[in-house]
Amino acid sequence: MKKYRFHKAASVLLAAGLLLTGCSGGGGDAAKPSEPGGTPGGSQGGGTEQVTLSMHSWRVEDTEGYAKIIAAFEAENPNIKIDFKPFKATEYNTILNTALQSDSGPDILQLRPYAAGTALAEAGYLEPLDSLAGITNFPKDVLKGATGKDGKVYGVPLSLSTTQFYYNKKIFEQNGLKEPKSWDELIATAKALKEKGIVPISLGAKEGWLLSLSHGVIAPANLRDGDIAKLLKGEIDLKSPEFLKSVQRMQELTPYFPENYVGLEQNDMRTLFATEKAAMYINGSFDLEAIKKLNPDLQLDFFPMPTDDGKAVITTWVDGSYAVNAKSKHKPEALKFMEFMTTKKFAEMYANELKMISAMPGVPLQDPLLNKMAELSQSSPAPYLMIIHFSEGNPTTKKTLENSLQGMYLGKLTPEQVADDVQKSAATWFAPFKK
Amino acid sequence: MGTIATSRQKGRRSWVIHLFPLPALILYALFVVYPIFSAFTYSLYDWQGIKRGVFVGLKNFTTLFTVEPFNEMFWNAFSHNLLYFVVEMIVQNGVAFTLAFFIYRKIRGAGFLKVAYFIPRLLSVIVVGFLWKLIFNPNYGALNTFLTKIGLAEWARPWLGDTDTALLAIILVNCWFGVGFAMLIFLAGLQSIPEELIEAARLDGARGITMLWKIILPLCMPAITIMTIFTFIQAFEAFELVYAMQGSMGEPFYSTDTLAVYFYRMAFSSAGGGDVSIGLGSALAVVLFIIVASVSALSMHLMRKREVQH
Repeated sequence: MKKYRFHKAASVLLAAGLLLTGCSGGGGDAAKPSEPGGTPGGSQGGGTEQVTLSMHSWRVEDTEGYAKIIAAFEAENPNIKIDFKPFKATEYNTILNTALQSDSGPDILQLRPYAAGTALAEAGYLEPLDSLAGITNFPKDVLKGATGKDGKVYGVPLSLSTTQFYYNKKIFEQNGLKEPKSWDELIATAKALKEKGIVPISLGAKEGWLLSLSHGVIAPANLRDGDIAKLLKGEIDLKSPEFLKSVQRMQELTPYFPENYVGLEQNDMRTLFATEKAAMYINGSFDLEAIKKLNPDLQLDFFPMPTDDGKAVITTWVDGSYAVNAKSKHKPEALKFMEFMTTKKFAEMYANELKMISAMPGVPLQDPLLNKMAELSQSSPAPYLMIIHFSEGNPTTKKTLENSLQGMYLGKLTPEQVADDVQKSAATWFAPFKK
Repeated sequence: MGTIATSRQKGRRSWVIHLFPLPALILYALFVVYPIFSAFTYSLYDWQGIKRGVFVGLKNFTTLFTVEPFNEMFWNAFSHNLLYFVVEMIVQNGVAFTLAFFIYRKIRGAGFLKVAYFIPRLLSVIVVGFLWKLIFNPNYGALNTFLTKIGLAEWARPWLGDTDTALLAIILVNCWFGVGFAMLIFLAGLQSIPEELIEAARLDGARGITMLWKIILPLCMPAITIMTIFTFIQAFEAFELVYAMQGSMGEPFYSTDTLAVYFYRMAFSSAGGGDVSIGLGSALAVVLFIIVASVSALSMHLMRKREVQH
């Protein structure tokens, strides 16, 4: 009998415990949305009410840099506190979408560039920023990265990204090589390196996004502004010779990739290049710090893509911006921070703390290579076609290109079939192709 | 309270007992039943990005099975789940049963082996994925280095970058991971066979293969049933290890896509933006649920019939 009673008491306790934990979980969640409001009973009244804004980002690596920038803002605006919360990049969209749907989204949020980000505006989650005083500090092209289909601007552009050929100056000099000025010179350079037993181009095909990124660098060699204008009007499509050639050139580079390149990821590619086993490496401005961290003594330089008409272009796009949640309880304060983000002071701090090319023109950078990229992105940019114009669809046309290029590198598809896949994907959503 | 409970007290007591599963049921309803129903309702709407649009009935389901590329991707992923199941049944469960049998026969060091086989299971799937990714690395990975050292350099390949080997490599890692658990289930099944039955069979002249085939396997059927259904569910929900080793894109060239990975990509499409299709994703989740639930129930029913009672 005693035993039985003990069991009963234990079960009741256990049940109560479960209920309690269930309750406290729910209670905690319920309390959360009101927390950033920070309006504890007594301290209302007067204009110096303390407001805490939440700010979400997908750049965990930027936490320290933002801490300094936010401190500068808070010094000027003592009644506003900003709670910067970064998430893992690949999880960010999921977390953000869920939060927005349940009305517990952050006050300020980092916006994916182009269609992927402005889709949130179309769903009514974002506050238009056209009336923000400093927004005119950005060129129209840059604002396009955060402009919705309704023509309104929804984000303050943060940074530009460029992609290019990084190269090892020491290896080039030792082998009497110079920066190539045409496609043929690029191939000749790669050939010469291969004959010396050096891996010419460190590229891996295991992660698809690196393939569309590399295509973004290769394509503008022959796919020029005029062709892109025609493409966007539907006068030519993605199966036409101009685009097809860009895919064929991706294939033409195959002999100059490392052994087993289909199994290599970005880390492997970067390591091969940084440890001087490979002479060239196609990657973004955002990878510069990581390369230097791996090997600070690397004699590093880059060249923009030589084009068929004798110029050199650098693939450029707006990489993210910051937006205000339309349902934020503290819109005036959030807009104040947006305004701060449009100032030169912010742009300079951002560029130098986080080692990125500011979206604001003419912001000098301490790193000479980054500075050169920034200048080229102003003087001779080429669009990253797949991000700027073809990032819609399901799966997106960009992803279709990535997977089909993998197929090509695995010997399953011809360049013609790749172009065909990409065109088929674009035709499902891209209005000019629907005729 | 006295030692003799009145009948009223007894009645109240048994009534209270029925309340005890309530917390568990509430949690189950909240985190299992509710999401299944909400996925079903989500699947009936047209979604614009993350905003719910109009009610479209079963349109998402027809899209899933009739519109390119969704239908191709579905059957592609489905075939990979099937391969997952078949390879796990043969390799993982085959090896697990053999190991369990030897331990059951009390070979030397059985206790140690039992623990050793189970150790992989103690690691987190993410750690397992990362570990094997390093082993499979084409440049410095242990596997290619080993093959080169023993003179099989031509066998070295980019295991996870090649459409021919990527999925199989992942499935085999999953077998390595799951073999310990399967072995324990089989061992429990073997140990539950009454000693008298074995003895009686031996007296009747059953030996070796006959003993295994005619006596031990049939008596082990409950464990085999459980493991088959487990393996089926696991194979059709394969996600973590694929995600840890290859990400959510089914790379390379959709060769590692499974239904769960395809679902994750479609419903959340979290890497690098792009359209998310919550409607299509939910429809796929419902289909996946129906496959797993119906096949599990059916096989449970059929296999129970074949079990020998003892």
